[in-house]
Amino acid sequence: MKWILVALLSVVAFGGLFFSARPFKAMDTTGTPKVSHIPAQLLLTGSSTVAPLAAEIGKKFEKEHPGIRVDVQTGGSSRGIADTRRGLSDIGMVSRPLHEDEADLFAFTIAQDGISMILHKDNPIERLSRTDVGNIYTGRLTNWKALGGRDAPIIVVNKAEGRSTLELFTAFLKISNRDIQADVVIGDNAQGIKTVAGNVNAIGYVSVGAAKYEAAVGIRIKPIPISETVTTIKTSHQQNFLLARPLNLVTKIPPEGMVSAFIDFARSSRMIPIIEEQQFVPVTK
Amino acid sequence: MYSALVNKKEWFSTLVVWMAAALVTAAFLWLLGDIIRYGFGQLSWQFLTTPPRNAGREGGIGPILVSTGLILFVCLVVAIPIGLGTAILLAEFTTEEKNFGRLIRRSLDVLAGVPSIVFGLFGSAFFCNILGFGFSILSGGLTLACMVLPILIRSTEVGLRSVPSDYRLSAAALGLSPIATLRQILLPAAIPGLLVGLILGSGRAIAETAALIFTSGYVDRMPTSFLDSGRALSIHIFDLSMNIPGGNKTAYSSALVLMVLILLMNGITSWLAMRWQQARISLV
Repeated sequence: MKWILVALLSVVAFGGLFFSARPFKAMDTTGTPKVSHIPAQLLLTGSSTVAPLAAEIGKKFEKEHPGIRVDVQTGGSSRGIADTRRGLSDIGMVSRPLHEDEADLFAFTIAQDGISMILHKDNPIERLSRTDVGNIYTGRLTNWKALGGRDAPIIVVNKAEGRSTLELFTAFLKISNRDIQADVVIGDNAQGIKTVAGNVNAIGYVSVGAAKYEAAVGIRIKPIPISETVTTIKTSHQQNFLLARPLNLVTKIPPEGMVSAFIDFARSSRMIPIIEEQQFVPVTK
Repeated sequence: MYSALVNKKEWFSTLVVWMAAALVTAAFLWLLGDIIRYGFGQLSWQFLTTPPRNAGREGGIGPILVSTGLILFVCLVVAIPIGLGTAILLAEFTTEEKNFGRLIRRSLDVLAGVPSIVFGLFGSAFFCNILGFGFSILSGGLTLACMVLPILIRSTEVGLRSVPSDYRLSAAALGLSPIATLRQILLPAAIPGLLVGLILGSGRAIAETAALIFTSGYVDRMPTSFLDSGRALSIHIFDLSMNIPGGNKTAYSSALVLMVLILLMNGITSWLAMRWQQARISLV
């Protein structure tokens, strides 16, 4: 019995050492952590879509600025905005344009995320117009022949209710999900890609990052351009977009010091390979 | 089973029972097989020791394993003494009917049924903000401790209650002090209950995602103190499979590591329980 006690004590002692290795974060009297203008720790909170990208940029930033730690935490875009406003984080991550009532914050777009239409690689169709896509999804066009393809029925692959890509998609086509005549209803991007890759006559839509990644590793799909795109997006990959959303970093005050350095770093052209590695589309200035 | 087969009336119910059992086993084997099939290929010593690269698509899970271990350590160091103490109070110093004991028991049952995301939000508000621990392994471990306590206390209490009251009476008749009775007779007898609680509790803790995402956080750097944010294995798996295109392979491998860890922990704890009980019996 004694050795257990000794083991337990030594474990606790080790824990105490480990514990005291770093001081508590500076606190003010109201109990919220202070955000100084030149923090030794940069805290980013918000969108889980932006988080992996921000974390990768953070690792590169840490390498160039020894002594600075970039901590990235998730919780969704709304949390990113709330934390930034309350000063709980230095920078918020928001994966959509800011709303009108969020105009008090400063937003910096670091990349774009979008939806792409995908077809099977062997489908002869090379491009579609927004009207075509609308007609296909509402059941007014049911054969590829009408669009110059093979004489075969169109298999419509739609996302399940509640997916954010479905909301973006229906908003873009200005239709309701009830109007969509789907043959297959799928959940996540991976499932959509598998469905289209397995059926020559299928059409679907997935996150542009997932589509480009899977097409690049040899899955038999192709992202196709939509001829009428959102005109405000100026990117080199514009033709592949159906609808895109900006990935933003937001701050409460005009960025200065480390915060400013990080945002500039994230928006510099050196980050383009990292952004593409995370399956997003860089913003060209 | 054979006698049941002879009795034609019971033939149907036997079939149903066996099918239910087979279904449960099949579901487990399918899940395990799936994870092994897709996860085993990438598994290597390097995967277990190196930090993740490219948002986890490449590299390993070294820092994540360390963070997970530290979170569990904080959780158990806090939960075991409090849990044991409360269980002793409930089992030895209150009766089933007394109001005080009933109040505690009801509260524990309610706590045990609270969804883990609620614990996560509580932990985020209390440990991270009010106490100022921020996103840290300490906050995560303490949140898990709150979550695990009800299970731990209830199963230890059941263990203590299962000790026949003859033991207590005999100890009293022999003039043993209450403390000695507790240490020499009751605690050893309650060890299986405590261990069952520990297995269930740590299993729940190590597989927890919702309670940790807002407390111990998302940072996948190697932690250097309990006040660092550290990503737990379950959060890593969640992030890889939901957020990272092309992260499936490493998600499967990480899931396999998590499964093996849980199986190992269960194995070790039940082996310890057996050994301790045998040691006790040979002493008596």
